[in-house]
Amino acid sequence: MNNQSMWSLKFSTAALVLIPVAVGINYIGKFIAGVLKLPLWLDSIGTVLAAMLGGPIVGALAGAINNIIYGFTDPISFVYAITSVAIGLAVGILFYKGFISGWGKAMVAGLIIGLVATVVSTPLNIGFWGGQTGNVWGDALFAFILANTDSTWLASLLDELVVDVPDKLLVVLISYGIYKGLPRNFVQLYNNNDKVETLD
Amino acid sequence: MKKIVVDHLKYKYPLGEELALQDISFQIEEGEFIGIIGKNSSGKSTLCQALVGLVPHFYKGAYGGKVIVDGLEVKTHTIAEISLKVGMVFQNPFTQVTGSKMTVYEEIAFGLENIGLPREEMRRRIHEVLKLMKIEHVKDRSPFDLSGGQMQRMAIASIIAMKPDVLVLDEPTSQLDPAGSEEVFQAIQDLSGQGITVIMAEHKMEKVAQYCNRVLLLHEGKLVDFAAPEKIFSRNDLETYGVAAPVYTRVCKALGMKKQGCDSYPVTLKDAELALRGSLG
Amino acid sequence: MKSISLFVERESFVHGIDPITKLYYILFAIIIPIILPSFTISAICLGTSIILLIFAKVMRKTLPVYSFVFFVLITVVIIQGLFKPGNETVLLQLGPVAMYKEGLQFALTIVFRVTNIVSAFMILVLTTKPSDLVEALVRKGMSPRIGYVIVSVFQIIPEMMTTMSTIMDAQRSRGMETEGKLLVRIKAFIPLLGPVVLGSLINTKERAMALEVRGFNSRNPKTYLNEEKTYPNSRFIQAVMLVLTVCAVAWRMFL
Repeated sequence: MNNQSMWSLKFSTAALVLIPVAVGINYIGKFIAGVLKLPLWLDSIGTVLAAMLGGPIVGALAGAINNIIYGFTDPISFVYAITSVAIGLAVGILFYKGFISGWGKAMVAGLIIGLVATVVSTPLNIGFWGGQTGNVWGDALFAFILANTDSTWLASLLDELVVDVPDKLLVVLISYGIYKGLPRNFVQLYNNNDKVETLD
Repeated sequence: MKKIVVDHLKYKYPLGEELALQDISFQIEEGEFIGIIGKNSSGKSTLCQALVGLVPHFYKGAYGGKVIVDGLEVKTHTIAEISLKVGMVFQNPFTQVTGSKMTVYEEIAFGLENIGLPREEMRRRIHEVLKLMKIEHVKDRSPFDLSGGQMQRMAIASIIAMKPDVLVLDEPTSQLDPAGSEEVFQAIQDLSGQGITVIMAEHKMEKVAQYCNRVLLLHEGKLVDFAAPEKIFSRNDLETYGVAAPVYTRVCKALGMKKQGCDSYPVTLKDAELALRGSLG
Repeated sequence: MKSISLFVERESFVHGIDPITKLYYILFAIIIPIILPSFTISAICLGTSIILLIFAKVMRKTLPVYSFVFFVLITVVIIQGLFKPGNETVLLQLGPVAMYKEGLQFALTIVFRVTNIVSAFMILVLTTKPSDLVEALVRKGMSPRIGYVIVSVFQIIPEMMTTMSTIMDAQRSRGMETEGKLLVRIKAFIPLLGPVVLGSLINTKERAMALEVRGFNSRNPKTYLNEEKTYPNSRFIQAVMLVLTVCAVAWRMFL
């Protein structure tokens, strides 16, 4: 697939309609993680699926809209819209370059996405919370590192890392599993390279 | 006047191995009520979608031949342009709710806002279709708070408000209970009575026989026959196409009772009754 | 149907302010303490937001949000007070543990920053109907298709949640365990999520087609069923904020 189609700003209706459902999937993922008291967020499965199906721009848009909408239930999430956009972009690029094409590669991709999310979130954490994430385990690590080194950045980076990497790894694996379970002719709808061939 | 001309239409879905529609040709007159029948995946939905341009514009794939609706060639026009002439209602009333409107009234306005109608005209048309579809009493409810039958009538109302000349319905009652189905069929019949050309894919053969003036039989993407319901349902090879004739036809056939004054079997309750009374009396 | 937005329908002058002006206010509340970094200015900004929230009669709805924020902020105060690099001046000694002045000062900046931003956002969120905000943005030139996407989320999520709870009940009655060891709970995640996700994704195909045949991609200029809401004071409020921002910049540069 060529780059031009990957970065196309002309969304098909099918791709646009995917976005609200992606936000809903994020919401439900977070909800179930809460019900099951899992120590992870699992709130970006929809964004990742949108990026796998619709490419980086649709993924980024799903991420942005996701956090804007979440902002209406929890204003802090407006701040992290940039992270969601980065996740959508990164998954879309990796997937369209054919990088996520098996379980092993999906695992590597999950780690990469976790790193991307960490790198983008850390400055936001520092600017907003002074470096913490609000996650109990991460913040405990933050306090420990801050007590033993003199780097807020290192403490903040590791705080985010211990939470984000396992979370995004699991999110990418779950999303990849769902993607593989989708009917091929459905996935085909998002292939915007297609032209109508003629049978005349 | 010829409202719809389909000429050697061929179509293959992007990942399809075979043609979903194989060289189909037929013509439909203005104001007709056409039924499309055939077993599952015989091409009914594909043909319906070819009349509004979803085939090929939405799916892409490979396309041949011509579909001309009211003088407009489908292949060379966008779905938005075609939708001003042809409206389409889908199987599942639930997925047709836009999800962006708070009330039934606003939901119907969705298409009208998109095509840029002035506010006064919008209100006039919405009022009209609410009445026609008998859903005035729910106009201020949330679109998701309706029964299946009401939801499907709202979907039809939303399309009718755009004033298409042709209405295509793809199994509009397959997800509804008998009461809901009857509501929808009555509503469609009213529209047909007003001169709208109706094309409906349907598997409830009693309904097809009762309402349609011609029936198009599809099998594996090919057109088998296109004729009056009596003629189609009297065919002896009907079962090889996975279609069962209406129960009245089957009974009369078993009894060997043809419709009075012609060579085919009755297809509706009324005709069956007439035939039976005739033979008894 | 449970709404996911925090919007509270009330009669108040804050509710009557145009959504775009509230967006500007968020920007204003963030930018002023950056231009003039002092506790007094931050406190004035925060105070203004809280007064507006009180006038809007939505204070009660702010409590869950504030309580979460304060929970995290308490950990910020403790951690920074104890461990911030550069901590020198001991303010409080409790046995082996020492709280430092520098860390507490820094923590106080953060407390102000976070509550200030969160409060400004809450004015928008609690007093603006999401669809009014989107309609205002579309009238300002945002793509109506993007507008559709945002508004529809508010209806699609509750629908998906309804499906979700049906599935959850069904799975539980079939004996699925949703409590116990971590592994047991992780295993329950997929059967709960899978059906809703697949179903709602596949439904998007028919929804997309249904939108297409209702002129979703029409090139005609869009019209609106509802008349544009008018907000009398918006120009004035925006002008005041602009003047104050200019004054703040001037203050910073010349004094």
